Amino acid sequence: MLMKKIIAVVAVSFLGLAACGEASSPAVPGPSKSGTDVIGQAPVAAASDILPGSTMEKIKQRGELIVGGSLDAPLLSQQNPATGEVEGFDAALGKALAKYIIGRPKVKIVNSASETREALLSNGTVDVVFQTYTITEERARQVAFAGPYYTSGLTIAVKKGTSGIAKPEDLNGKKVIAGANTPAIPAIKKLAPQAEIITFGSDPECLQALTQDRGVAYVQDETLLIAAAKKDPSISIVTKPFTVDPYGIGLKHGDDQFKTFVNAWLGKIQAAGVWQRIWKDSIGTVVTGDAPQPPRIGSVPGS
Amino acid sequence: MSVLLDHLPELWQGLIVTIQLTAASFLGAAVLGVLVTALRVSPVRVLRAIGTAYVETFQNLPLLVLLVLAFFGLPTIGLKAEPLVTAVAVISVYEAAYIGEALRSGVNSVSKGQGEAARAIGLTFTQSLRHVILPQALRTVVQPLGNIAIALTMNTALAGAVSIVDLTAAAQRVNLVEAQPIPIFVGAGVAYALIAACVGFVTGRLERWLVILR
Repeated sequence: MLMKKIIAVVAVSFLGLAACGEASSPAVPGPSKSGTDVIGQAPVAAASDILPGSTMEKIKQRGELIVGGSLDAPLLSQQNPATGEVEGFDAALGKALAKYIIGRPKVKIVNSASETREALLSNGTVDVVFQTYTITEERARQVAFAGPYYTSGLTIAVKKGTSGIAKPEDLNGKKVIAGANTPAIPAIKKLAPQAEIITFGSDPECLQALTQDRGVAYVQDETLLIAAAKKDPSISIVTKPFTVDPYGIGLKHGDDQFKTFVNAWLGKIQAAGVWQRIWKDSIGTVVTGDAPQPPRIGSVPGS
Repeated sequence: MSVLLDHLPELWQGLIVTIQLTAASFLGAAVLGVLVTALRVSPVRVLRAIGTAYVETFQNLPLLVLLVLAFFGLPTIGLKAEPLVTAVAVISVYEAAYIGEALRSGVNSVSKGQGEAARAIGLTFTQSLRHVILPQALRTVVQPLGNIAIALTMNTALAGAVSIVDLTAAAQRVNLVEAQPIPIFVGAGVAYALIAACVGFVTGRLERWLVILR
């Protein structure tokens, strides 16, 4: 009995501690709509486009598109704890693709990490990957990329009042926070080789580390940092994006038929304005202005 | 294979951090574990209760939760240390619960008469533990301690969650650039297996060396 009481007290105090930590850095930036009305207007492929024996036909027969993605990326692909729905730009595009192939937005998201997605694609566990998957030539040797479907860039956030950081090269010799498994790590290594990079698994953890002075700067995708700076006035962004990261849709290497099909779909939803409305519902909730011009399909080496 | 050779310096650095974490944490856990055992077998009821509470708390909380809580939670009450120090402290505290239980099983394996005889010739509780009970208890728990050391090695991979670039984190960073998870993680796995094999070899030798033929 005594033991149970002690455990309860310890557990409660730990919970209290955790709650304190959370309160100072809210995890979810910006309201994001589920965007199901947009999906309702998304196109469906003509029966003649679903070639017999193709990957599209296999997905259609299964009645479900299996997408490799994240559940914790704000604005892009984040699970809403209240509804269980996965919301955001990447998630909505996955639903739109499912609707195009199957006729209804039936998607199963496999929570794939950066270290597993190549393997998941090549062994057929997932059909496509929508996960801020930057197209690079190294990766293009392992997987095929449709798109690019979006272009983003890395930028630098600091605590307000920090001086001496105005460009990526200023990070040399300093402790820099980055998300584990994000393109920020190689980008910092290239532009500021003397920077010490410390990484955390999720965006809220990185922000917490920045506010606790574990590092002087946080390098992350501009979209996420804009959302963070909106929520937390003690953080400010010091540069314009200093990289160009074209995001591609990861497909099985060598499946040219499916790649052509997905590229055709991407062209269609961009022409129909569906891509732009999905952007408005997700990233557009924190970035002001109209949806940007989508990048030209196939314009990046590796795509 | 070439992908491993190309990135050998980073992976090697990661391996060194993993070995540092393992060695320092095991040392810390061993010291704390002896204390926990002393509490668990103490004749004083309150001390026994504290020992039990310690073991039940840390065996029933996931290490990852403890690491993240200590790393982000303690600075909010003014306790901030280097990431490596935090990780070593947390892993030590966590593994001490397991080491404490392993040691207690050893203490219980020493026959009651030994303790009674020690007390009868006038040794205090601490003296009887130190000179009579623990030396015998330690011999019987060499294998379980070795297993805990191996589990601890694997557990150090969680330190990547609090910004430490150990072998697993280093492998993840290499894979981020090269996108060849299978050779990279098989390579890292082989390194972990080698550490485990070394620990197993040492405990095997230790056990034969310490054996008392009765």
